[in-house]
Amino acid sequence: MSASQATPKLASVPASPLTARIAAEFAAAGDGAAEPRRQRALAALSEVGLPTSRDENWKYVNLRPLEKVRFAPPSTDARPSIEASDLPTAIGKSRYVFVDGVFDAALSSVNAQSGVTVTTHAVSPRATEAVSGARVGGENGDLRFALLNAAFATDGVQIHVARGTDCQICVELVFVATAEAKAGASYPRINFKVDANARVGLIERHISFGSDANFINCAVDVEVARDARVQHYRVQETGSRAIWFDTLTAKLAENAKYQVHMVNLGALSARSTVQVQLLGERSEVGVFSVSVGGKNQVHDTFALVEHVAPNARTDQSFRGIAGGRARVAFNGKVVVRKGAHGTDSSQSLRGLLAGTDAEIDVRPQLEIYTDDVRCNHGATAGKLDDNMLFYLLSRGLDRDTALRLLKWAFLEDVVSKIEVPELRRQIEASLAGQLNESAALAASQDPMAAAPAGATPGTNGERATHTSKENS
Amino acid sequence: MLKIDNLHVAVGDNKVLNGLSLEVPTGEVHAIMGPNGSGKSTLAHVLAGRPGYTVTAGSVTLDGKDLLALEPEERAHEGVFLGFQYPVEIPGVNNVYLLKAAFNAARKHRGQPEVDAFEFLTLVREKMKLMKMDESFLSRGVNEGFSGGEKKRNEILQMLVLEPKLAVLDETDSGLDIDALKVVSNGVNTLRSPDRSVVLVTHYQRLLDYVVPDHVHVLVRGKIARSGDKTLALELEKRGYDWVIEEAA
Repeated sequence: MSASQATPKLASVPASPLTARIAAEFAAAGDGAAEPRRQRALAALSEVGLPTSRDENWKYVNLRPLEKVRFAPPSTDARPSIEASDLPTAIGKSRYVFVDGVFDAALSSVNAQSGVTVTTHAVSPRATEAVSGARVGGENGDLRFALLNAAFATDGVQIHVARGTDCQICVELVFVATAEAKAGASYPRINFKVDANARVGLIERHISFGSDANFINCAVDVEVARDARVQHYRVQETGSRAIWFDTLTAKLAENAKYQVHMVNLGALSARSTVQVQLLGERSEVGVFSVSVGGKNQVHDTFALVEHVAPNARTDQSFRGIAGGRARVAFNGKVVVRKGAHGTDSSQSLRGLLAGTDAEIDVRPQLEIYTDDVRCNHGATAGKLDDNMLFYLLSRGLDRDTALRLLKWAFLEDVVSKIEVPELRRQIEASLAGQLNESAALAASQDPMAAAPAGATPGTNGERATHTSKENS
Repeated sequence: MLKIDNLHVAVGDNKVLNGLSLEVPTGEVHAIMGPNGSGKSTLAHVLAGRPGYTVTAGSVTLDGKDLLALEPEERAHEGVFLGFQYPVEIPGVNNVYLLKAAFNAARKHRGQPEVDAFEFLTLVREKMKLMKMDESFLSRGVNEGFSGGEKKRNEILQMLVLEPKLAVLDETDSGLDIDALKVVSNGVNTLRSPDRSVVLVTHYQRLLDYVVPDHVHVLVRGKIARSGDKTLALELEKRGYDWVIEEAA
């Protein structure tokens, strides 16, 4: 089946060879015809195309690997067999595991939570429909990869938290990518809807298994109703040759509070696009992002917060470390719309250069269209403090240990915002590994002598650390 | 024994130490006094190996070992400890973690096994009692949000845990109220023993009421202008530094 035969319904001609190939693969995958929603997403994508490095907000990320990936999902025949024990230690009351974007009941451990409804495509085909792609491209919106996801995703998860539900460490989603990028793509897809006055925590993690060279394109939609409180933890630890794209949109109603914690450790190239709209008065968003890249990794995060309603708050904190020849970027943008008076926004973006050929780009941006706002921002990019280093050396720490400890300390104030002790222990163990630390920092998780200041010593800290180390 | 011979040190184009010679035999406490800018802190930093100082001539040995050839951490392993005038705040690095890492680094260098957390905490708690420090300091970031006095106590606590062969204390008394001065002095006196040396860098005689030195040296323009016993410090307190500076001119 050729591309021209397969896409007669498209209103416009594919804009580039890349979108033409996407359309051809879509058609070849065959089942697309059954779902108009996917057809529409493909048509929209064909119109706007994927971003290129000429786009202002896409210049840090390496888009060239897209030339070589297969966009359709992989065949399930070649999937490696995975045991639950291959996955990180479970956190939370209920775990849902997705392999190459498709729900895997055998690997999951589902426990019903009162007030929490989790639906996957396997249960209801409508689960994939909820993720919107309402605003595409445009001045402040950039959801083109979400359109790609919408076109190809055959599964997805819809989480609905009913009014007044209290489920602090509630649902854990684990997305496992197994296929080589040339064999097929993985499309994690989440719709997370929290009703009024609920308190809920969601853990979302992305890992690789089998192949470390996956193509993953993730789309997440979050809606937080009035007076609700949401903690959303996102950990990206995909394989060292993986290409990871991610689009998250969130809408907050009156007095809603949403905190998203993003930890980027894995992938060869990882790009997150985050767009939060503060639509209700006194809503609050916290975007807390940690990114550690080494070797030739590229990590790029674009986080846009749009203040639409008055008296809302934004707290953006980023800590990034680039070692080796890595490039780590964070572009944090806050837009205050007309009428959003009383806006209170704070941005603290800090990058640390830990390699002579590494690159750090931190960029706070503000666009303000109203008076009476309080917006402060701080951005730094630099090397480790020589005075701190000398202090540690003068106490007899060898140079490698001292450097690792200072890198650790650099991340600590953002990592310490992670309020789930077990998750934090796992992340700290992974970070220690990423910072090329072995025994010293892992030992620090010992409650008798914890390294992170203020860390809550767990009752079984030592055991947990060792377990998660084996998984990392 | 610490032996400094004809030491010349520059910071950029600025010559700070100009032929300083000094011997501190093991078991003795020597005070280095002198007006602002005489090179006292430079001496302390050069002994610990801080980058940014160029040694243009002279030598420094500790028990015959060439200190100037060693990296800062190697000097620490050889038993050199610098008590900082301005201890650095390192948020995110746990105080007790640093103590334990430093302690075990020294043990490793001596070929001794690392101590476990329990054994180490027992040791640290005992030293903290001596320094009248609350145990909550252990779980805080290194010097993070500590008052001036707390930082200095923390320096002395580190010194007591590490038990250095040579302790160089750079204006440890500055910014201390009288109670804290007594606690800090008590800590230094605890460390005094026939197999250690202490170099006290200070502006004021006050500290020397509590830590009585075996010798007092006055530094003027990067050289020792006058040496004496503890009475020299009293004389300086009474007469100021001008007469020593004039004599040195």
